[in-house]
Amino acid sequence: MNNPAATPSTTSPQAGLLEPLFASRPELWTRFNAFYDSLWTSGHISRRVLEICRLRIAAIHGCDRDWRFRTADVFLTEAEIAALHGGTFSIFDHCERAALDLTEKFPFQHHAITDAEVKAVEDGYGSAAAVALLTAVAFFDVRCRWQQVLTPSAST
Amino acid sequence: MSTTPRLKPPSATSTPDFGTYLGYIGETTAAFFDLYAEYWQRGVLPPDLKETTRLRNARITDCGY
Repeated sequence: MNNPAATPSTTSPQAGLLEPLFASRPELWTRFNAFYDSLWTSGHISRRVLEICRLRIAAIHGCDRDWRFRTADVFLTEAEIAALHGGTFSIFDHCERAALDLTEKFPFQHHAITDAEVKAVEDGYGSAAAVALLTAVAFFDVRCRWQQVLTPSAST
Repeated sequence: MSTTPRLKPPSATSTPDFGTYLGYIGETTAAFFDLYAEYWQRGVLPPDLKETTRLRNARITDCGY
């Protein structure tokens, strides 16, 4: 840790990579981590759903560092991980597939997300969870882009 | 792209808009705006450059909000 004013994140796959870049703005880094951690700890949607969507975003972007990171206390089988890498979601339950279908379009087809796809997530998890998931997916996408622009070698 | 609200608002009397929906996740929203305020209020980049890039990003992603 380069700056004692910054707070380490327990949910961030990029803490070690990006933190030095924020050495001159530790207050910004601390706030970003507080925000990012809240996505995982608010309890509106399960960490498992967040994790599968995070990994799918990483796979879509070919973001190696995010892909290799595993969130603590979320266990995924090798088959599930392979499915997330390949983009075939039949192994997941109905609600998780709805979350992944929406996630699939987020990085490069966000205007193609349909009312029905959003409704499927809302029906499966509830309105608050749907908002939490959409917000989290947006920032999973951001973090992959951010990382790949700053450190292109992080890509697969 | 849809022009009608896609999610139920938190209450029957709520306006179904972006800000209202964020009310569902109050803790996260508060943390985000704490971060966002820090970004806009301090730092080495001039505010006009931040605003220029924000607007260009909104245009590229076709975000009318």
